[in-house]
Amino acid sequence: MAAVAPARRRKRRSVPIGRMLLLGFFLVFVLWPLYWMFNTSIKPSDDYLTVPPVWFPAEPTLVHYKAALFAYRGLDGLINSLIISLSATVLSALLGTLMAYSLARYNTGGQHLSFWVLSQRFLPPIGIVLPVFLIYRGVGLYDTHIGLIIAYTVFTLPVSVWMMFAYFRGMPKSMEEAALVDGCTRWEAFWRVAVPLAAPGIVAAAVFAFIACWTEFFFALILTSRTAFTLPTVFRSFIGFQGAQYGEAAALAIVSLVPSIALGVLAQRHLVRGLTLGAVRG
Amino acid sequence: MPHTTTISRMTTTGAPPRLSTLAQWADRHFKWLLVAPAVLLILALSIYPLLFSLVVSFINYDFQVPGHAFVGLKNFERVVFDPVARWSLLLTACLSSISVAIEFVLGLLVALTMVRSFPGRGVVMSILIVPLFISPVIVGQAWTLLLQRPFGPTNYILTQLLGQEVTIGWMTERPWLYVSLIIADVWQWTPFMFVVLLAGLTAIPPNLYEAAELDGVNAWQAFWAITLPHLGSMMLLALTFRLLDAIRMFDTIFIMTGGGPGTQTYTASYYLYTVGFTQFHLSQATAGSWLFLIFTALVVTLLVRRLLKVEPV
Repeated sequence: MAAVAPARRRKRRSVPIGRMLLLGFFLVFVLWPLYWMFNTSIKPSDDYLTVPPVWFPAEPTLVHYKAALFAYRGLDGLINSLIISLSATVLSALLGTLMAYSLARYNTGGQHLSFWVLSQRFLPPIGIVLPVFLIYRGVGLYDTHIGLIIAYTVFTLPVSVWMMFAYFRGMPKSMEEAALVDGCTRWEAFWRVAVPLAAPGIVAAAVFAFIACWTEFFFALILTSRTAFTLPTVFRSFIGFQGAQYGEAAALAIVSLVPSIALGVLAQRHLVRGLTLGAVRG
Repeated sequence: MPHTTTISRMTTTGAPPRLSTLAQWADRHFKWLLVAPAVLLILALSIYPLLFSLVVSFINYDFQVPGHAFVGLKNFERVVFDPVARWSLLLTACLSSISVAIEFVLGLLVALTMVRSFPGRGVVMSILIVPLFISPVIVGQAWTLLLQRPFGPTNYILTQLLGQEVTIGWMTERPWLYVSLIIADVWQWTPFMFVVLLAGLTAIPPNLYEAAELDGVNAWQAFWAITLPHLGSMMLLALTFRLLDAIRMFDTIFIMTGGGPGTQTYTASYYLYTVGFTQFHLSQATAGSWLFLIFTALVVTLLVRRLLKVEPV
């Protein structure tokens, strides 16, 4: 970090060694757990406890994947996760866009309303989930797909609203104003003019809502049990078995992280906005 | 555009003449109609439950004790005088501040290495952000695979590197279980700091550094005089966001240590979860979660309110 200015003085192609070393170490730190998990997932159980450890299995196997998906109901979890995350994402992006547009263009409710929505993002889930659990049991939403979809929609709304809020504020008003002058209703100005223009922002907001739902554990742990359980909650089955299920756990982890990582890396241009709820433009 | 299409788009039922007044009404209250669905949903699933839990925290709502009698502050007393509750709050504060501090320093260092372009920067960037898209449960699982004795390779690698036998119980011995939890958190969330701080660094006008260089300012001085002040609001934002998430710490603990051994790795969320869902003292748990909520609200109002003013419009 001390080399900010001197590096500029040198030729552009020279690379400061200390800096690259730090980056290299950090890259290894990031990749090593992922590699070891992948390695574990294709390793025969006989290779688990050898000294030295097996760095790459001589005979890779897919048995753990099969067991994780079928014997441990990983496939059911995967399907549930897809249904619930996709539905909640669509709802959240839709409602979030509606609200964000109103906040950005009409300043609805002033700062209070937007801050109120933002504050929802910072509520500790434990404070919400206990009463929601009681209410869900009362109205029959406990352990249902719809119950978790509603919960996830609310839980991702602050992110959707704030990302779209920032996006609409960054968009010129002139097109919508022209449409209004031409006799469009406000709805038409919104739906036919603003929404198509904001499509990239909506997609980005939806991607982050999806990742949030896909990786969520706490709500799913408490609000579901044997029917609507999502992929992350399947990992409960692997706790406390002292080694026997390592391969299955690793296999399921690999299956589950592929979609969210793929989406996240594809949408990385919007990452800063996604992480800071639109407060910072990346 | 013809007016009739508007009407048919806005509502689908009813007779045409009434529709047009409805459409006019809708147009007049347009901004509130747009806000309504989201607000109603948040009211139904966030505000109503909060109020409901406030009621629950003053009555007896316990799967082990029948009846819902009003018990006053008894549930709150139970939490406040529970040594495990105080321990878990202390541990939450310590773990989250240590993790966030390490993430901040490491994230800043990595961001500084990534400011200017070099061959392969795009690929490195894509790899560095991967942990952000992984469920914390899986992060906990991954570190369990690496650390747990005798399966994990970590002790073997340390033995080879240090040249002496290392037999650390990463998930069972103090202080190593805290180290393990912090490592898992640092692994997942350093990229958050890195991404936000990098956005801040790239926003600093480069001509400032060029001017400083002409004035003969050295790199270290430039860092203190230019980089830090310009990064100030971004640092505050990154720290606030991270801290507010770090104090919820639950998933990795659930997978890695299960709160144990004993209650040694109970965080506030884990404590409340155990009280509510394994001991079924639901009213005690809601009372506790209200206290935790108040702590969080204090942090939010102190830090986030200030952020909203700093934030670029």
